[in-house]
Amino acid sequence: MPADIRSFFGGKSSQGSNASPAKPAAKKEEPSTRKKRTRKVVDDSDDEEVVATKTASPRVKAPSKPKPEVSKGEPTSTSDYFASSKKRGRPPKESKPQPAAADDLEPKPSPKPKKPTVTEQPVKRPQRGSTKKATAILDDEELGDDDIFATEYKKPGKGDDDYVEEEDKDGDSDFEELAVKPASAAPGRQGRRKQAPVSDSDEDVVMEDLPKRPSRATKSATSQPARKRKSEVLDKDEDHESKSSPKKGAQAKAAPRTPKKPRASAKVDRPESKEIQDIFDSIPTVRPPSPPPDTGEKKKFNFAAQAQRSTGPAAGSAELPVGAENCLAGLSFVFTGVLDTLGRDEGQVLVKKYGGKVTGAPSSKTSYVVLGADAGPKKLATIKQHNLKTINEEGLFELIRRLPANGGDGKAAEQHEAKKKAEEEKIRAMAAEIDREEKRKAAAAAAKRNDTPSGPQPPSSSQPPSSQSAKIDDRLWTTKYAPTSLNMICGNKGVVEKLQNWLRDWHKNAKAGFNKPGKEGSGLYRSVMIHGPPGIGKTTAAHLVAKLEGYDVVETNASDTRSKKLVENGLLGVLDTTSLQGYFSGVGKKVESEKKNLVLIMDEVDGMSAGDRGGVGALAAIAKKTHIPLILICNERRLPKMKPFDHVSFELPFRRPTAEQIRARLSTICFREGLKIPPQVLDSLIEGTNADIRQVINMLSTVKLDQTNLNYEKGREMSKAWEKHIVLKPWDIVGKILSAQMFSPSSKTTLNEKIELYFNDHEFSPLMLQENYLKTKPVLAGGYQGREQKLKQLELADNAASSISDGDLVDRMIHGSQQQWSLMPTHAVFSFVRPASFAYGNMMERPGFTSWLGQNSKQGKLWRYTKEIQGHMRLRASGDRDEIRQQYMPLLWDRLVRRLMVEGKDSVDDVIDFMDSYFLTREDWDALVELGLGPMDESNVKLQTQTKAAFTRIYNQRSHPLPFIKASSVAVPKKMPKEKPDLEDAIEESDEEEVLEDDSKNNDESEEELDLKKDKYVRVPKKAAASKGGASKGRKTKKAAANDDFIDDEEEKPKKSRARKPKAK
Amino acid sequence: MALLVDKLRPRSLDALSYHPELSARLKSLAQSGDFPHLLMYGPSGAGKKTRTIATLKELYGSGVEKIKIDARVFQTTSNRKLEFNIVSSVYHLEITPSDVGNYDRVVVQELLKEIAQTQQVDLTAKQRFKVVVINEADHLTRDAQAALRRTMEKYSPNLRLILLANSTSNIIAPIRSRTLLVRVAAPSEEDICSVLKSAGKKEGWPEASGLNQRIAKESGRNLRRALLMFEAIYAQNEKVTDNTPIPPPDWEALIALTAEEILAERSPARLLQVRARLYDLLTHCIPPTTILKTLTFKLIAKVDDALKPDVIRWSAFYEHRITQGSKVIFHLEAFVAKFMRIYESYLMGMEF
Repeated sequence: MPADIRSFFGGKSSQGSNASPAKPAAKKEEPSTRKKRTRKVVDDSDDEEVVATKTASPRVKAPSKPKPEVSKGEPTSTSDYFASSKKRGRPPKESKPQPAAADDLEPKPSPKPKKPTVTEQPVKRPQRGSTKKATAILDDEELGDDDIFATEYKKPGKGDDDYVEEEDKDGDSDFEELAVKPASAAPGRQGRRKQAPVSDSDEDVVMEDLPKRPSRATKSATSQPARKRKSEVLDKDEDHESKSSPKKGAQAKAAPRTPKKPRASAKVDRPESKEIQDIFDSIPTVRPPSPPPDTGEKKKFNFAAQAQRSTGPAAGSAELPVGAENCLAGLSFVFTGVLDTLGRDEGQVLVKKYGGKVTGAPSSKTSYVVLGADAGPKKLATIKQHNLKTINEEGLFELIRRLPANGGDGKAAEQHEAKKKAEEEKIRAMAAEIDREEKRKAAAAAAKRNDTPSGPQPPSSSQPPSSQSAKIDDRLWTTKYAPTSLNMICGNKGVVEKLQNWLRDWHKNAKAGFNKPGKEGSGLYRSVMIHGPPGIGKTTAAHLVAKLEGYDVVETNASDTRSKKLVENGLLGVLDTTSLQGYFSGVGKKVESEKKNLVLIMDEVDGMSAGDRGGVGALAAIAKKTHIPLILICNERRLPKMKPFDHVSFELPFRRPTAEQIRARLSTICFREGLKIPPQVLDSLIEGTNADIRQVINMLSTVKLDQTNLNYEKGREMSKAWEKHIVLKPWDIVGKILSAQMFSPSSKTTLNEKIELYFNDHEFSPLMLQENYLKTKPVLAGGYQGREQKLKQLELADNAASSISDGDLVDRMIHGSQQQWSLMPTHAVFSFVRPASFAYGNMMERPGFTSWLGQNSKQGKLWRYTKEIQGHMRLRASGDRDEIRQQYMPLLWDRLVRRLMVEGKDSVDDVIDFMDSYFLTREDWDALVELGLGPMDESNVKLQTQTKAAFTRIYNQRSHPLPFIKASSVAVPKKMPKEKPDLEDAIEESDEEEVLEDDSKNNDESEEELDLKKDKYVRVPKKAAASKGGASKGRKTKKAAANDDFIDDEEEKPKKSRARKPKAK
Repeated sequence: MALLVDKLRPRSLDALSYHPELSARLKSLAQSGDFPHLLMYGPSGAGKKTRTIATLKELYGSGVEKIKIDARVFQTTSNRKLEFNIVSSVYHLEITPSDVGNYDRVVVQELLKEIAQTQQVDLTAKQRFKVVVINEADHLTRDAQAALRRTMEKYSPNLRLILLANSTSNIIAPIRSRTLLVRVAAPSEEDICSVLKSAGKKEGWPEASGLNQRIAKESGRNLRRALLMFEAIYAQNEKVTDNTPIPPPDWEALIALTAEEILAERSPARLLQVRARLYDLLTHCIPPTTILKTLTFKLIAKVDDALKPDVIRWSAFYEHRITQGSKVIFHLEAFVAKFMRIYESYLMGMEF
């Protein structure tokens, strides 16, 4: 059988270059992979990522077998082979697709067995020969494959070396074949070709998928069945091929993509599994490169088409696939655009759940890009550049459904496996270390215990285990697994080292008077400041370093009162002393003289607050002159109250460790505690807590209470429940609610979650939304063109605006006299969620800050101006403020402002006369200018500086009538008896001030001078004028007299003029 | 130097040029010795205040014309300090409680009680009571109005109220039932023309009767506005003819501009620009209802007849909301959005 199979394969390869290369490729792949493995680990990883998806299934079978082969010595042969002719290497790539197809058909199983039997190299060579022999039966299928292949691979070929190689190799056979193929299988091929080129569009893909699926279903519904079949005979394979020609095409497409690197191709080759093919099938490939004219256009075309499609139909069918555990292991995915049925988060969760990796931006290492509507242009560019495989949702589902557990024997999966093993070993080692440590400690403790009673060690050896097991360890896990050496600290290695160096050299530096900066510049400081987010080991590191450097620790934290006084007095005793431990010790222990050194650790420095008045300052002062090392620890270094520590202490910022850094440690803990938690669950926990080690350990400890393992969903649930709530900023809120994903049919965000967004900042979110809802490109209007789109946009804007208007009514019920605060959620929906549900879409610009606040305060200011002007004019004009503003203002502006502009300084006197007749002041003139609108806008007022200067000068020179008397000179309503400030008053300083002001007002009656200074109508020397002198008729100014003819009462008006003051007195 | 409106203001009931029967009634009321509480209402620029002053003069003689402004300080229950201006003569006070917004109740309670509890000291006064004129009575809050009603009865020997309002709709029934309602209708266009003519004659300006009629029409039967426009035209033009254009006030020009913008382009981006314009108007103290009303009429003038009822409907809808809500810009914007939508769909309906 094996021989037949080989020949069969060979025939294929020879006929459609694919078939022949397939086996060689397989061989090559194996060797290459081995080589890579042996040579460079990095290569492997790359390959894995790129090829993983395709090869994943095949690998399962192939890798395991190939490896042994390699060991047999094939590697050398393969290398030779490669060296001898790269062409061969190329064919393999082509063959990859075929193998994949073969996998579907299940020929792979047969080849594998063969391989094991015969050494790879020999097998391969024969295969090649056989490939040339190509069977006629296969031609159609192969041809189809080839066509697709050719087109696709032309594209990749341009960019990638691998491709080029492939081409070369294939070139001989493939090209010929290609040429021939069209002739032989014109109809089928054409159809396929069309599909292939167009394949980018979802429709094509779908079409392919559908036929494929049925076939698969019949032949092998799941990948596993497929594998079984693989073990079966070639006949089936053939059948499959013939039946599944479309599949092949799809596979072929996929294959060309993978082929970029020979290694990849090699990997691909092995994956005989149908799964891969399926996956390929499901992938809507958007191949830009090789077919130069077509591809580019096609690409765009495809995306547009996709976008349109995605908006409409797909919404209903969001049934999450159930796949084998960890089936995406080793693959990395990038999500872009809006998916049809999945939310992006959901998609990412899905991938992570099955062990895949999700990255934010595509790179050469990305295995698949999951493409949705409205994909980002940058990502598309990268995809094109790196020739990445793009799939849609269906593709992803398909991948998950088909791929075997742990990624099958795909290369990526293998490597992943290897890594995992390595990690496990490491974990075991670490656990063992901890074990040892504990035993040692236990032994020591036992020894101590024994020392006192009997002394001999023998019991200790027997006791420790018994005691250990007997007594329940009541320590918190965080204490139990606190690092005991520097290399056990997760992350921040460099910083910890710096800290250690600083502490080690402290006394040396002290002798040098802190003048030598040293290597890291830490030699200048008597204290260090460690800062970073909670739970990443700051305190632990400080204590550990102190211990390692032989310092005795004195610690204060937020549980101690640290006011200025206490800091100064309390620390006095510490700063100049040494530890007793340097001189005494317990019975039977040696005195360790190094222990007399003290280090002071001030933990939670930013926790010094209300009760610790002056503490920070005092501490900063001490940090400057301390005689023992001082370690300060805080979370937020940038708080204003931490300013005193600037330049006083050496800054050591701690950063969050990465998931990798933590994972090992956590795995160790799990291992020791008998918890079985898969790495991706740990990762999700770490991610959920923002890399807060302490919290994760606490969570694990909680898990331990009632279960021994944790699956992905539970882990996510848990980290969600433990989530630290972060309050979003107004900009983030509005950005989030208006994002294109928020309301897409595939979004799983619930109404409550959207409302929750509003409550992040319930005052700002509606305002921010109102400011920005018109700045989006509404997704809902995306399906229309031209004027219809415009109308749709207007409709959406109108709906949103009227909803906001509704929201304002609700707001009135909340903040108005009714105070119905229970309506807040209603307000959230009307003013925030609902408008966003119409207007959501990509923001065309960055969200702006609400302008309502600024406009409102400006309105308040101008309103006061109007009020003042109206108050002044009141004796002459009967209108209320609105009438003054709307009816008088244009004419006043004409008489006061335009005249000055047009006639210049000649008109100054007239203008001032006019102002006096209406009791308008110079300030009112300015206000009038500011109040202008449209044609009277402030910016249109251009006064010659000369005129303006003259105006001001003359105005100040002259005396002006005053229409009213200040409140201070009138009997003020009896001051309310000043109540003793109760608690609230004491807190509300503003209120207090007001009260004080009132007092001063009242006092002013006696101290007129003070009051007059504040009075803008009065100059200080003339206070007499301020007190009402209106009665004396002699004061009448000429102006007043002039006005007399129409106003009798003017005489009576209090007038104040400098000249008259003496008279008044 | 004062403007015509103020310079030519009639000072006695006899000098009033229109509504002679109303003047006669007020005169007889003032002379009856049993002067009731009055609620004078009518549109802006109809002469309510002028009539009130004239009536007061009839009551007390020329003493009421010797007025001054006092600034008083009140303290609210929350210890907030309010400064409040009172225009007063020995015989009467004129207050505008709406100056202090929501705290008007404090003013009404404290001030009116204080005045009502002190008897007229001047024995030579014609009347034993003082008169308190309350401007913008229709802007009084419910609380303030409620505080007012018992005061009106209890202290009636010492105190009479004259409430001035644009409409009685905002005044609670208990107050309406305690007052004598006096409606001051807007002057007819002929009345305005004759006033303008006599004013022009006094100033020695050349008469242009056509222009006067246009002003009367343009002013919306608001005499104050008519006089101000009249003066503005004569101030800005050397030579005035019947065809001299009437310059629109600044805010109206801006609203007209906004309306043109709306009609020219209907899109979310344009809506953003319009929002900026609306903000501009609002901050410059143009009342939102005025904006909405003016904008509506500017728009209506340029849309097809079939659309007009719809536009009016939505305009009324959002005007109501303006008074109900608190952030007026939302409602103005919603109106503009609505207009854009119906206008655009109407246009499309026509074209497709």
